[in-house]
Amino acid sequence: MRRTRSVASVLVLPWLLTILVFWLFPLVVSFLMGFTDFRLLVKEYHWVGLANYRALLSDPDFLKALKNTFVFVFGTIPITTVLSLGMALLVNRHFKGRGIFRATYFMPSITSMVVIALIFTNLYQRGGYIAMLVNLVGLTAPQNGFLYDSSTALYSIMAMDIWMSVGYYMLIFLAGLKSIPDELYEAAQIHGAGAIRQFFSITLPLLKPVALFILVINSIKSFQVFVEIFVMTKGKFDTATAVYFIYETGLTTGFKFGYASAAAYMLFIIIGVFSAMWFVLLRRRQVLW
Amino acid sequence: MVRSRLLSVFKYLALCALMIIMIFPLVWMFRISLMGAGSTDLSRIFNTEFTLVNYVDLFSAHNMGRYLFNSLLVGLTVTIANILFCFIVAYALARYRYLYNKILFITVIVVLMIPAHILIIPLYVLMVKSGLYDSYWALILPWLVNPIGIFLVKQYIESIPPAMEEAARLDGAGELRVLLRVVMPLCQPALAVLAIQVFFTNWNSFLFPYILTSSDDVRTLPVGLALYQGYQAIDWQHLMAGSAIAVVPILIMFLFMQKHIVSGITAGAIKQ
Repeated sequence: MRRTRSVASVLVLPWLLTILVFWLFPLVVSFLMGFTDFRLLVKEYHWVGLANYRALLSDPDFLKALKNTFVFVFGTIPITTVLSLGMALLVNRHFKGRGIFRATYFMPSITSMVVIALIFTNLYQRGGYIAMLVNLVGLTAPQNGFLYDSSTALYSIMAMDIWMSVGYYMLIFLAGLKSIPDELYEAAQIHGAGAIRQFFSITLPLLKPVALFILVINSIKSFQVFVEIFVMTKGKFDTATAVYFIYETGLTTGFKFGYASAAAYMLFIIIGVFSAMWFVLLRRRQVLW
Repeated sequence: MVRSRLLSVFKYLALCALMIIMIFPLVWMFRISLMGAGSTDLSRIFNTEFTLVNYVDLFSAHNMGRYLFNSLLVGLTVTIANILFCFIVAYALARYRYLYNKILFITVIVVLMIPAHILIIPLYVLMVKSGLYDSYWALILPWLVNPIGIFLVKQYIESIPPAMEEAARLDGAGELRVLLRVVMPLCQPALAVLAIQVFFTNWNSFLFPYILTSSDDVRTLPVGLALYQGYQAIDWQHLMAGSAIAVVPILIMFLFMQKHIVSGITAGAIKQ
């Protein structure tokens, strides 16, 4: 017994070490840094209490970044969730070629975000493909391209993000649909319930745990949107998001580690509140459906 | 009867329209990567002129070969480390139940729930202070063991009866031999799922490889591509050829290992 216990301890060591050194320690250190004016190349730093947090709340750049992040999250999540559920229903039942459709819908989400962002930078550019499509429909595209205009840049990036991620959430919905027993639908049919009634009384309520999972995962991911902003606009044209703000203040001009850490924890609190909110909302039966 | 046939025609139309929307940008990428030098105006794109010169350029005149090597080196190292470490830790947790199981559960939740953006500043500071900044170590060490991977493999090991291991021990096999020769081969399906997930994530990742490096010697493909764009007026032909090089290995793996990839993604969701 003693031997196995020590064997287990040795086996678990690499994992405990990496968790400690690369997760726990940095998390604690940056939490503490948030209360200092620590920055690069400055030897001395001081404990400033809540000053960073107070400064953030009146920093127009940070507030703007928060606003953009909220627009991104609340603009993309409902559309992505509904579209991916729709797609899952479309390819759920067995039919010819189902595998090919599923695979192609899922393909964008395993592709590198940098590559996708580069391709869409080309598609969105002035005189580019999407401008041509928009002109065909009779609308006018922004003169300098979709990404060089404050009224379209963020929405264009959001549209790309939806395009990229629907396939991934479709797969998760499909797994959820598969776990609903067929007998329920058979019973409903015997009692004369139509397809629409079956959807609202069986499918939707039973998909609730999966939907919760998707909402939580997607909001954690969307609140952290960064790569596409970095590649496509560098935060210009009203597209700077919270993580872009953290990157810019912490790792470019000024290297204000303390200030950026405080901003990171602020965003963390917001994400925590939202994850908790989804749990509460979905636990009550009538709120969402 | 007519109605249901009409419905299925509509359904196929919708399915095909969606498929075109999903594939189109990738086709667009390949198309531009095969164009000769000059502008990428729409009129030229719809032309029929094709050349492989951009791909040749990338390897001879640009740094793409180096980026590709770095991506492969970092990706494969992290993947192999994860297979080994996640397996060993998962085995210890599955067979010797101690307080570690509680720690595992907490770390899985932490990794799922705590957003990675919090690590941007402290990891940067840690790497600079420890002298690991701008080295392969900075790209490898933080991701050696993935708690979610441990969780995945642990679930799998728990479904294997311990009788085989005990039999091997009675035959006089050492602990390490039991682990690597008896249990590991049995876990192959779970380890395959883990390997693919880790490799894909690592291959595509941009944020941390970008902030933890500053020289072309260690930069990975996504970082090289994202910064290549910034240097001059955008050189779309080469940029898209480089992108294609970053995407093709993933697409090929996807074609052959679709089942593993899908089950890796849905495993997390169903457990909830």
